[in-house]
Amino acid sequence: MRTTQAAIEVDGLRQGYGDFEAVRGISFTVREGELFALLGTNGAGKTTTMEVLEGFTKARGGQVRVLGLDPHRQRRELRPRVGIMLQEGGFLGDLTVAETIAMWRGMAADVGRRPMTDALALVGLEHRAGTRVRQLSGGQKRRLDLALAVLARPEVLFLDEPTTGMDPEARRDTWKVIQDLKAEGVTVLLTTHYLEEAERLADHLAIMHEGVVHTHGSVETVVAAAGDQVAFRLPISPEALRARTGDGLPFLAGAAPAAVVAGEVTRVTYTLPATSSPDGAHAALRPLMAWAEKCELPLERLEIRRGTLEDVFLRVVGDAR
Amino acid sequence: MRTDVMHAVRLARVDLKLLGRNQTAMINVVLLPLIMGWLFTVTLGGEQLAGVSMTLFVLTGLPGVMLGFAVFVHLVITFTARREELVLKRLRGGQASPVGILGGSALGALAIWVFQVVLVVFWTNRMEDDGLPGNVPLLLLGGLLGVAVFALLAAAVSGITRSAELAQVAVLPVVLLIMVASPVLMPLSAMPAAIRVVAEVVPVTPVIEIMRTAYVGRDFFDYGGQVMGMGEQWVAALPSIGILLVWIAVGTLLARWLFRWDPRHG
Ligand SMILES: Nc1ncnc2c1ncn2[C@@H]1O[C@H](COP(=O)(O)OP(=O)(O)OP(=O)(O)O)[C@@H](O)[C@H]1O
Ligand SMILES: [Mg+2]
Repeated sequence: MRTTQAAIEVDGLRQGYGDFEAVRGISFTVREGELFALLGTNGAGKTTTMEVLEGFTKARGGQVRVLGLDPHRQRRELRPRVGIMLQEGGFLGDLTVAETIAMWRGMAADVGRRPMTDALALVGLEHRAGTRVRQLSGGQKRRLDLALAVLARPEVLFLDEPTTGMDPEARRDTWKVIQDLKAEGVTVLLTTHYLEEAERLADHLAIMHEGVVHTHGSVETVVAAAGDQVAFRLPISPEALRARTGDGLPFLAGAAPAAVVAGEVTRVTYTLPATSSPDGAHAALRPLMAWAEKCELPLERLEIRRGTLEDVFLRVVGDAR
Repeated sequence: MRTDVMHAVRLARVDLKLLGRNQTAMINVVLLPLIMGWLFTVTLGGEQLAGVSMTLFVLTGLPGVMLGFAVFVHLVITFTARREELVLKRLRGGQASPVGILGGSALGALAIWVFQVVLVVFWTNRMEDDGLPGNVPLLLLGGLLGVAVFALLAAAVSGITRSAELAQVAVLPVVLLIMVASPVLMPLSAMPAAIRVVAEVVPVTPVIEIMRTAYVGRDFFDYGGQVMGMGEQWVAALPSIGILLVWIAVGTLLARWLFRWDPRHG
């Protein structure tokens, strides 16, 4: 059962440090049970936004609501219902992993939550239970941090770069943990620099650059905006090509070809315009096929690649610069 | 409020466990003031002052020195180091409130200090014929107010201290004041005028005067040294209690203004 109520609402949020404005009026909504990914360049203002939503700092402008509450003014009410994993958080290095977990479990029980009993197993750290926290590796610390964030069974989870520094296997395990929590109805707001992670986990996402959200929407609509890529090789130089065909390469669905010459071959790529129809690439290819037929030229190593989130990210950031 | 207390107790127990694992802190916080007390009694013992032996005088002033180390120095270093290591920020992202987190460390410091005072009581009882404290409630009240003042001041000072190494230096002025401009080793009346002016206002003075009077049952507010009844002691302690309450208000304001959770901000 999915309700459509908003768990996190951000409306015209502004935040800064001294004279510097780090977040310049951003808006987005995360519905209950949804996973929202906040992407963006270094220094885009992701962490700054998270810290406002976590109630650490007061917004300079705009409105934010978490579970209908003001995260700064009503932090006390909100705290038991929210789990937080900071981009970088410290531990008491002289405590063991098990002692750290026990301390956090105790604090959760003190506020009336029913803490998880298997938090260590969840993040695969049982075998390090007796280790001093300062001896853990970077990725292990990250996993411990995740265990602490989820152990009080929060309704809303803030994860600031949860898998940074993890090996591929640990990353996959962490995705599984996050997906399982989401299946239980937890709302998740996550930041990441791994676009694959966002594509895999998120329902909706936003791309930020220099304090502004440039693109947002469901993963599918955002990725659709990337446009598909068509690429192939022609075993002929551009001069010979022009001599043979007269007017050169055709336009595909309005997209111009980009040709790069390498010796006696020409590499051609097209970035097709974004289209809402799922057979866009197919339709765009027809004139290309006809052209190749007519010129009696083979399209070597023809490939059609779906546009990726990375393409969108690079374009959005490139345009903004 | 209730959960704040539960969190504070839990965090205080963790703090004590960590202190046990940190030898440097053990020496600085627990051992050093006891060694200083021993040196004082050895060098100054024998003389008489305001109706008591110098040994008793110094030993009953020692809790003031311990406030400086077990509470003030210890907490400035703890708060600063934990802020810089992002521990405070991580804790604040958990279930505990700011009051619970800071109160936990303050409670831990209180426990260390009480433990030291108990040691001093045993020690005094061995050295002196009538060495047990007379007015325990007044003694405790003076101590509690003192711990509150110095915990708040520690929170404030940590806010303007950039690193744990600098904290060792940042605490020196206060430690120096406690040693020189307070009635640990001599009554205010015996001090040079300039120092006496300072000693009149620093918070460690009322703490020592209250505790010493409560311990010995003689007047150490004006150093007449007359024997005082319980009721008289309470009445005589009122101005000192007032000074400490003012210090608590000042300390709260300073801590609110200066304390920092996050090395990135401010
Ligand atoms: N305390 C501070 N004082 C001054 N500027 C700050 C402070 N904290 C952050 N900033 C600046 O605010 C901007 C946004 O920082 P923020 O940490 O939110 O970025 P981010 O999107 O999380 O980046 P990253 O992906 O690198 O973590 C940056 O330009 C940063 O330098
Ligand atoms: Mg960040």
